[in-house]
Amino acid sequence: MNTTAARALCFAALAVVLAAAPFVARGEVAMRTIPAGEFKPLIRAVDEPASVAVAAFEIDERPVTNAEFLEFVTANPKWQRSRISRLFSDIGYLADWAGDLELGPSSPADAPVVRVSWFAARAYAAWRGKRLPTTAEWELAATPGYTTADGSTEPAYRNAVLAWFARPTPWPLPAVGQTPANLHGLRDLNTLVWEWVSDFNTALVTGESRGDTGLDRTLFCGGAAGGARDLTNYPAFMRAGFRSSLQARYVVPNLGFRCARDLPVEPTAIDPASEASASVILSAAKNPLGVSQPDIAANRSLDSSLRSE
Amino acid sequence: MKRSPALLALTLSAALLSAPLARAAACCHAPAPEHEAAAFSEKSLYQLDATWTDDRGNALTLGSLQGRPVVLAMVFANCSYACPILVNDMQRLRAALPDEVRERAQFVLVSFDHERDTPAALAAYRERVGLDPEYWTLLHGEPENIQELAMLLGIKFRRTPAGDYAHSNVITILNEQGEIVHQRPGLQGEVATAAKALTLVSR
Repeated sequence: MNTTAARALCFAALAVVLAAAPFVARGEVAMRTIPAGEFKPLIRAVDEPASVAVAAFEIDERPVTNAEFLEFVTANPKWQRSRISRLFSDIGYLADWAGDLELGPSSPADAPVVRVSWFAARAYAAWRGKRLPTTAEWELAATPGYTTADGSTEPAYRNAVLAWFARPTPWPLPAVGQTPANLHGLRDLNTLVWEWVSDFNTALVTGESRGDTGLDRTLFCGGAAGGARDLTNYPAFMRAGFRSSLQARYVVPNLGFRCARDLPVEPTAIDPASEASASVILSAAKNPLGVSQPDIAANRSLDSSLRSE
Repeated sequence: MKRSPALLALTLSAALLSAPLARAAACCHAPAPEHEAAAFSEKSLYQLDATWTDDRGNALTLGSLQGRPVVLAMVFANCSYACPILVNDMQRLRAALPDEVRERAQFVLVSFDHERDTPAALAAYRERVGLDPEYWTLLHGEPENIQELAMLLGIKFRRTPAGDYAHSNVITILNEQGEIVHQRPGLQGEVATAAKALTLVSR
């Protein structure tokens, strides 16, 4: 009898697991693995290393769409337009949608979701079991061109990125996944919308500098370019300037996001030495803040000058 | 007859499992509980659902501070320059308060350093600096929660290669509902304005 009862319990438990399983898989976007690498910040403070070790990670192939974000707000009403707390978003959150749960003509289902705050993007990522990429991860993922390892020196790729900067944002936004993939298989990086990263504003060089410590004073004003690694990488300057102009509550008509996650740790033979080195790499990857961003004078006006309106 | 215990077990297990099932569903696809939205105002930091651990190992949310005016700063225990000054500023502020306000005000230090500032390390820090447990709360948190709180307070920080933190120095005053009513940036400044803000919200 006990056995039978136990078996019944097992079946019931199994049924629960099976019933729950489909929820996990729904709404999945393909993710690409980015191998471990080094990110060399464009501009860095004096006390910062010239490069940041980034552990291998996974990142969404393309930005999050309106349809996917609609699933999120449907399941999490406190992130709906009429209910989101002012603490987590400025006015204008999802303003192009027709309603709390209705996309409407300005927001095609397969277009990237925009006008979402950092808080909302992060909550979405967590709900999917993911997170936002760090600046170092995002930049590493976006480094290759279509055919070579360094897109900044690949004419076709560089021109595509510069062309995106040059033209007004089309409206409504085109669907995700339409642009050619880079060498990592990632689409729409630099050519569809700006994207949130988890550590967009770690630069301590700010308008409120009285309150900051650890400043590299040479990063002020014209000094900014003086410490730069590569003066010709215009898109990287643009991204750095754009990110440093943001605040976590901001919503911008051409700022979306994509999600990332750590690679599952592979079980390996127990070797204290390799374990130690692996943990060093992991801790480097967990240090999304080891990157400095410049305070380029672009700032507040940047996002308004780049939007289409 | 022989099967009835099994059926009973099945019924029972279904009943028992329905509660965990509801919880599992709530994680992703059922509406999250929204008690916080009802309990706290739109501008209240107490809406955050992040869990912190104090230096005695107790888990708490910031919302548990509701009902007392709060003086909050983000620091790390190994900081050799700015944080001792910042904490000293808070002690000066505390000393400058009228007695009845000093009795009610809660002083909170949240650590940037999730790796080294374990609850035990924070307890040692409290001991070293001499912070009265009745009035000072020291909090350890997960990196994403530290980042979120820093964003809401307008505090920028960055881990240096040496494992220390470069950070903004800000003392924040919260009213009893957890809304930011005053922020004092910088170090070694006057504390009279902050004391006044604290006194105003204590009424």
